[in-house]
Amino acid sequence: MDEKITEASSKDNYRQEPKVGVYVCHCGGNISDIIDVKAVAAALAKYPGVTVAREYAFMCSSNGQDLIAEDIKNLGINRTVVAACSPSLHELTFRNVLQRAGVNPYLHEHINIREQASWVHKLDHAGATAKAIRLAQAGVEKVKRKDPLNAIRVAAEPRVAVIGGGVAGMRAALSAAGKGLEAVIIEKGPGLGGKLLGLGKMYPSGEEGPAIAGKLEALVRADKKITVHTGADIDFVGGFVGNFKINFKNADGTSAQVKAGAIIMATGYQHYKPAQGEFGYGEDANVVTLPEFISLMKNSPAGRLEYSGKEIKSLALIHCVGSRQVEGVHKPQADGKINDYCSRTCCSSALYAANQVKDKYPGVRIYDVYRDIRTYGMQHEEYYDKASKDGVLFLRHNETDQPVVTSDRTGHTVKVKDVLTWGEELEVKADLVVLVTGMMPADISLIRSQMKMPIGADRFLQEVHLKLRPVEMANSGIFIAGTAQYPMDVPEVMAAAGTAAAKAAILLAEPDIPLEPFVAVVDEHKCTGCGLCPAECSYDGALMMAEKNGKKVAVVNPALCKGCGACVAVCPVRAINVAGWTLDQFDAMVEAIAKE
Amino acid sequence: MKVNPELIDEIKKYGAFDISACFNCGNCTAVCPLSKEDSSFPRKLIRAGHVGMEDKISSAIEPWHCYYCGECSATCPREAQPGEYMMALRRYLIAKYDITGLSKIFYKNGWLQTWLALGMLAAFYWLYSSYTGDFGALAGKIELAFPVYVTIALGGYVLNMYRYAIVKPLGGIKASLKPAHIYETLVHGFTQKNFNGCEETDWTRWIAHLLVMSGYVLTLLISNLHLLSPLDKHYGAFGPVSLLVWYAGLAILVGGGIMSLRRMFKSAESSKFSHPSDWLFVVTMFLIGASLLFTHYLNVAYGPQDPLLAKVYRLNIAIETVWILLIVPFTKWIHIFFRPLAVYFQHVKKEAEAGTAFTLNIGAAK
Ligand SMILES: Cc1cc2nc3c(=O)[nH]c(=O)nc-3n(C[C@H](O)[C@H](O)[C@H](O)COP(=O)(O)OP(=O)(O)OC[C@H]3O[C@@H](n4cnc5c(N)ncnc54)[C@H](O)[C@@H]3O)c2cc1C
Ligand code: SF4
Ligand code: SF4
Ligand code: SF4
Ligand code: SF4
Ligand code: SF4
Repeated sequence: MDEKITEASSKDNYRQEPKVGVYVCHCGGNISDIIDVKAVAAALAKYPGVTVAREYAFMCSSNGQDLIAEDIKNLGINRTVVAACSPSLHELTFRNVLQRAGVNPYLHEHINIREQASWVHKLDHAGATAKAIRLAQAGVEKVKRKDPLNAIRVAAEPRVAVIGGGVAGMRAALSAAGKGLEAVIIEKGPGLGGKLLGLGKMYPSGEEGPAIAGKLEALVRADKKITVHTGADIDFVGGFVGNFKINFKNADGTSAQVKAGAIIMATGYQHYKPAQGEFGYGEDANVVTLPEFISLMKNSPAGRLEYSGKEIKSLALIHCVGSRQVEGVHKPQADGKINDYCSRTCCSSALYAANQVKDKYPGVRIYDVYRDIRTYGMQHEEYYDKASKDGVLFLRHNETDQPVVTSDRTGHTVKVKDVLTWGEELEVKADLVVLVTGMMPADISLIRSQMKMPIGADRFLQEVHLKLRPVEMANSGIFIAGTAQYPMDVPEVMAAAGTAAAKAAILLAEPDIPLEPFVAVVDEHKCTGCGLCPAECSYDGALMMAEKNGKKVAVVNPALCKGCGACVAVCPVRAINVAGWTLDQFDAMVEAIAKE
Repeated sequence: MKVNPELIDEIKKYGAFDISACFNCGNCTAVCPLSKEDSSFPRKLIRAGHVGMEDKISSAIEPWHCYYCGECSATCPREAQPGEYMMALRRYLIAKYDITGLSKIFYKNGWLQTWLALGMLAAFYWLYSSYTGDFGALAGKIELAFPVYVTIALGGYVLNMYRYAIVKPLGGIKASLKPAHIYETLVHGFTQKNFNGCEETDWTRWIAHLLVMSGYVLTLLISNLHLLSPLDKHYGAFGPVSLLVWYAGLAILVGGGIMSLRRMFKSAESSKFSHPSDWLFVVTMFLIGASLLFTHYLNVAYGPQDPLLAKVYRLNIAIETVWILLIVPFTKWIHIFFRPLAVYFQHVKKEAEAGTAFTLNIGAAK
C-alpha cells in the first residue's frame, strides 16, 4: 500500500443543521411546458428540512447561479437540490456554485426532472408534476444525509514511462520532455525506430523509413530529459495512476525498474505474416509481402527491377491480405479470430510502391487486384489517380470471390472474378506476386494481463471513447500512442503520440493528482473482518484485508477503487459504503419516493 | 479470359490519351443520353479496352451510336475523356474495317495524310493544267468516275463492318427484314437524327452540320451528275443551276467556318481534341465550297472563255479529286455511313439474340 495517498480532512459544515435550498428549473419550457414548476416549488417549500424552494427559467445561467449563491449568503443554505436537466450536463456547474460560495461542493444533489419526467410523460402533465415532486423530495432526503467530501489526492512520480521506441514512442517522449516531464523509453528491440527501420521510401514525404526514424532518434538522444533503455524485456508492470512501476531485464541480464506517474503504450503493431500456402506464400519464392517488396525495390538496380537475379517485367499486387477477413472465407488466426479490420495504410502504401515502380521502371506491367481502394489520407487519392494514369490495371473482386494464384513453369497466374468486367473471370500473368499485407496487434499479452488493459474486437488496445477521449485507456494514467491502438500511418501516429504526451503532461502537471472521492469507505467499527468483500472486487489491489489497530478489517486503496459498489452488495453488516452513495441515503430516497 | 494490356495501348494510338485514368465509376454511362440498357456505353467499352477484350471491341456497334456530345467527358471525375475514347474507337474500328490498311497508317501518323493531300493536289493540278485536250470533256468523265470509286471504297467498308459486327460475333450471316428496322435505318441515314438526342442540344453545332451536309450533298449532285460545264456554257446569275451552286457553296463556307472556329477555340467538348485528319476534312470541304463558288462567279461574270476561270476550274476539279480519293474514304466523313448502319446492326443483334433474325446458313444448311 502506498503511503503517498492523502485524504484531506474537511473542516466544513459537517454536522451542521441541514438547511436545504431547492431550485426547480424551467429549462426554457423543456420542463415547464409539461410540469407545473410552481407547484413543485410550493410542495418542496413545505417539505421538512427545506429552508427555501424557488423556480427559475434557466438555473444554469449566471442569474440562476447567483440566486443560489445569494441564498447561501443570506439564508445560510448549506445543502442544495437542483431539479433540472441531466446531472451529466450541469451537476458540475452547481457544485462549482457551492464551492465558490464556501460550501463543500459535494453537498449538492442534482435531480433530473427533464429526461425522467417532462420528456417521458409529455401527455400526462399532472402525473409528471407529481413525479417531479417525489424525485425532488428524494433528493432532499439524500442531501440531508450527505457528508462533505474532498477530492482524493495522489502524489505522483513526475515521470512518464513510454513502452515501445518506434516513431510513436519517440514522438511521445519528445513531446512529454518538451512539456518539462522526464520521459523513459523502454524498448525491447536493440534500437529505436520500430518498423520504419525495415521500410524503404514512405509516403507522403518520400523519405526513407530509417531516415525518418534516425531524425527522431537524434532528437531523443540529445534530450537530457529522456532516458532510453533498449533490449529491455519487461517482466512486470504494476501500480496505479501516479505510481506505476515497470520492471525489466536489460540485454545483459541485469534487472532494472522504472517508476512513473503515467504510462504511454507505444508498442506498435506486427506485420501480418501470411499462412503457409496463402496465395502461394512460403511455397513459391516469387510470392512476397508488401514490406518484403518495398525492401526488394530499394535494392533493385536502376533500369531493371530485379528479384533474386531475375528481371521482373510484370507484377500483381493483391490487396487486403490478412486484413478485412471474412468469416467462413478466411482461416482464423492462431487465437481463433479473424482480422476483420482494415489496416488502413496498405492501400496507400501499395499504390505508392506501384507508382515508384512505374517511375523507375516504366515498362513493368502492374496489375492491382483489390476489393476496395481506401486511400483515405490527405491527398492519398492522388496515388490512386497517378497509378491509373500510368496504366496500372485495376481488377476488383468481391469479398467472397477471393483471387487465386497458381504457378507453373511459364510463371504465375492470378485469377480474378472481376466485378468491373461484369463478373468475368480474368487471368493475368505476373513474374512477381506481391501480397499487400496489413497490421496485426503487437504481442503484449504480459503487460496487458498484468494491467487488465482493455482491447477492442480487433485486439488492438482500446481507448475510452474514440471521439471524446481518443488516447486515454480506461486504466487511469495509461495512454496510447500510435499503432498500438489501431492501424495508422506515420503522420497520424505523430498526432496521436503528441496528444498522448499532452494528456500525460496535464495529468502530471502538479505534484499530486486529484481523483473523484466516490470510493469505498469501510466503517472499521462495524467491519467483522469476514473477508467476503475483497473477493467481489475486480480491481487488483483496490480492496484487501489487513490488520488495523489489532483488528482484521477490509482496507480500500482509494487510488485503485473505481467506486463500482460490488463490495457494498455483499457486506452482511453494512460496513462498507461508496462515499456519496451510501446505503442510508438510498434507503431514505426509496422511502421518500414510495411513501403514501 | 486472359487479360491483354496491349489492346489499350493500341487504341490510345488513335486518340483517347487519358483513358487509363478511368476508374470505372460509371458516371459517363449514367449521363450519356444515347446509352440504353441494352447497349450500355461508354464505361463497358472502356473496361473492355482496359482488359483487352479485342473481340468485344472490334464487334462493337456502340461507338457509332455516340455523337460526341461530350456530356460524358464533362462529367467524368477523372477527366478520362470518355467521349474522346469513343471517337478513338471509331477511328480504331474504321482502321479495322479498312482493307487497304491506309486508315491505320493515316490515323497513327498525324500529319502524313495532310502532306499527302497537298502533294496530290499539286500533282493533279499540274496534270490537269498540262492536259492539252478538251478539259471540259475530261472533267465530265472524271466527275462521273467519282461515284464508282466511292461505291467500291464504301462497299468494302460496309462489308467488313458487317463481318466484324455481325458475322463474327453471331457466327453467321444474319439480317433483319422488318420494314420498321429498314425504315429507321434510312431515316437515320438522311437526318443523322440522334444528334439531337443529346440532352443539351448544341444548336450551333447542329446547324453547322446541317449546312455543311446539305451543301455537300448538293455539291455531290452537281458534280456527280455533271450539272456544270463552266468551260462550255455561260450561266446566268439566277438560273436554277446557279441558285443551287450559290446555296451549296455558301452553306459549305458558312457551316465549315463555324466548325473551324469552334475547333480553333475549342468551345465544345467534342472539339477539344482534334486529330489532324479532322482538320483536313474541314479545310478541304471549305476549299471545295470556295473553289466552286469562285469558278461559278467567274463564269457568270466573265463567261466561259475567261483565262482565270480555266485555272480555277482545274483547281476545283483537282481538289475534288483529292477529296474523293483521299478524304472521303479516310476521314470522319464516312461516319455518316456507319451511323445508320449501326442502328440497323443493333436491331439485327437483338433479333439474333431473340432468335428471330433472318439467317443464312452457308455450309451448315441441310
Ligand atoms: C507495409 C506497410 C507499409 C507502410 N508504409 C507507410 C508509409 O509509406 N508511410 C507511412 O506514413 N506509414 C506507413 N506504414 C505505417 C507505419 O509503418 C506505421 O505507422 C509506424 O511504423 C507505426 O509506428 P509505431 O511506433 O506505432 O509502431 P512500431 O513501428 O511497430 O514500433 C513499436 C515499437 O514498440 C516496440 N515494442 C513492442 N512491444 C514491446 C514491448 N512489450 N516492450 C517494449 N517494446 C515493445 C517494438 O519493438 C517497436 O520498436 C506502413 C505500414 C505497413 C505495414
Ligand atoms: S487499406 Fe486497403 S489493402 Fe489495406 S486492409 Fe484496408 S482496404 Fe485492404
Ligand atoms: S467499490 Fe468496487 S472497486 Fe471499490 S473496493 Fe468496492 S468492489 Fe472494489
Ligand atoms: S464484507 Fe463487510 S464485514 Fe466483511 S470484510 Fe468486507 S467490509 Fe468487512
Ligand atoms: S465517368 Fe470517367 S472514370 Fe467514370 S467510368 Fe466514365 S470514364 Fe471512367
Ligand atoms: S459523347 Fe455523348 S453520346 Fe458519346 S458517349 Fe459521351 S455522352 Fe454518350
